[in-house]
Amino acid sequence: MKQPQVVGAVLAAGLALAAGIWAASYWYAPKAVTLQSGVLLGAPRAIAEFTLADQDGQAFSNDRLRGRWSLVFAGFTHCPDVCPTTLALMKVLTQRLGASAPAMIFLSVDPERDTPPVMQSYVRYFGPAITGVSGEREMLDRFCASLGIAYVKVPGASEADYTIDHSAALVLIDPQGRVAGYFPPPLKVDTLAADLSRIAGPST
Amino acid sequence: MRMFVAVALFACAPAQACPGLQVEDAWIREAPPGAMMTAAYARLRNAGSRLLSIDGALGPDFAAAELHRTVVENGISRMVHGEPLQLEPGATSALAPGGWHLMLIRPARALKAGDRVSLALKCGREASEFIFVVKAPSE
Repeated sequence: MKQPQVVGAVLAAGLALAAGIWAASYWYAPKAVTLQSGVLLGAPRAIAEFTLADQDGQAFSNDRLRGRWSLVFAGFTHCPDVCPTTLALMKVLTQRLGASAPAMIFLSVDPERDTPPVMQSYVRYFGPAITGVSGEREMLDRFCASLGIAYVKVPGASEADYTIDHSAALVLIDPQGRVAGYFPPPLKVDTLAADLSRIAGPST
Repeated sequence: MRMFVAVALFACAPAQACPGLQVEDAWIREAPPGAMMTAAYARLRNAGSRLLSIDGALGPDFAAAELHRTVVENGISRMVHGEPLQLEPGATSALAPGGWHLMLIRPARALKAGDRVSLALKCGREASEFIFVVKAPSE
C-alpha cells in the first residue's frame, strides 16, 4: 500500500503547487487597466535626453518628468479655441484629483512668440499647477518626436499672423519619465478624472 | 477732409442687418493677460426666410474677427477658415469650443469676465450687431 500513498502525496503536492501558482497569478497579476478615454502603451517608451525651459526660465529636462505622473499638452498661446479650452480642462482636472493629480505641462510649439515672459502670464492665468515649457527648436523637435507630438506652421494673412496645426491629445508620462499613454480628443473632464485616478491615483 | 472721412466711414458700415438672424448665449472667452487671441461663441438661429451665409464679424474691440472652425483629423487639431457657416431658414447652429468660433485677434483692451462687448456678425454685405458677455469657463 506504500506506493499508492506516495503517488497520492505527490499528486496532492502537485495539485497544491498548481493551485498555488494559479492563486498567485490570480492575486498578484497586475490588474489590466482599461481606460474610458485613452490608451496605455503595452511598454512605456523612453524619452530622449532634452533640455527646454519653463516659464520662469529654469531648465526643464528629463528629471523634471520623474517622480510623479505628468500630462503634456502641446499648443501655443496664439491659439484661440483648443488651447485655452484644454488648459482650462487641465485646471479643473487638477482641482478634481487633488493630491493625486498628475503634473500638468503646457508645451508651446511656438517658441518664437512664446518666450518665457509670455508663457508666464499665460499659464499663471490657468493656476499654479500648470507649467509652461518651450525652448530651442531643435530640442523642442526632439522632445516632440519622443512624445509622438506633431505640429506644422501654417502661414496667415501676414508673416506675424501664422497659426499652427498641432496634436490635440494629452500625452501621459509615467513617474519614470517615459511615455505611458495617450488621451486623444474629445477630452472630457469626467472620464479623464476617472481614468487618471485609476492609473495615477494612490496605490491601494 | 472731415467730410471725406465721414463718407468713408459710412460707406464701410453695413447698411442692413442679416434678415432673421438671432443669437443666444453669446459669450467671449476671457483671455489670459496679454493674450493676442481669444474666441467668441454663440447659438445662432435663422428665423428669416432666406439662407444666411455667416462669414465673419466686426467689432471695435478687436483688430479683426474671423470665422473659423476647429477640426481634429488624425489627432491633429487645425483651423479651417474662409468657409462660411450656412444657416438655412429655420435652422440653428452653434459656435462652440472645439468647433465653429469667431477668432478675435488682438483685443484693444483687457476683457474681464462680466464685460459686455459688441460684435456684428457678417453675412455677406449685411451685418447684425449683438452683445457678447465675457466669461471665464470652468472647463
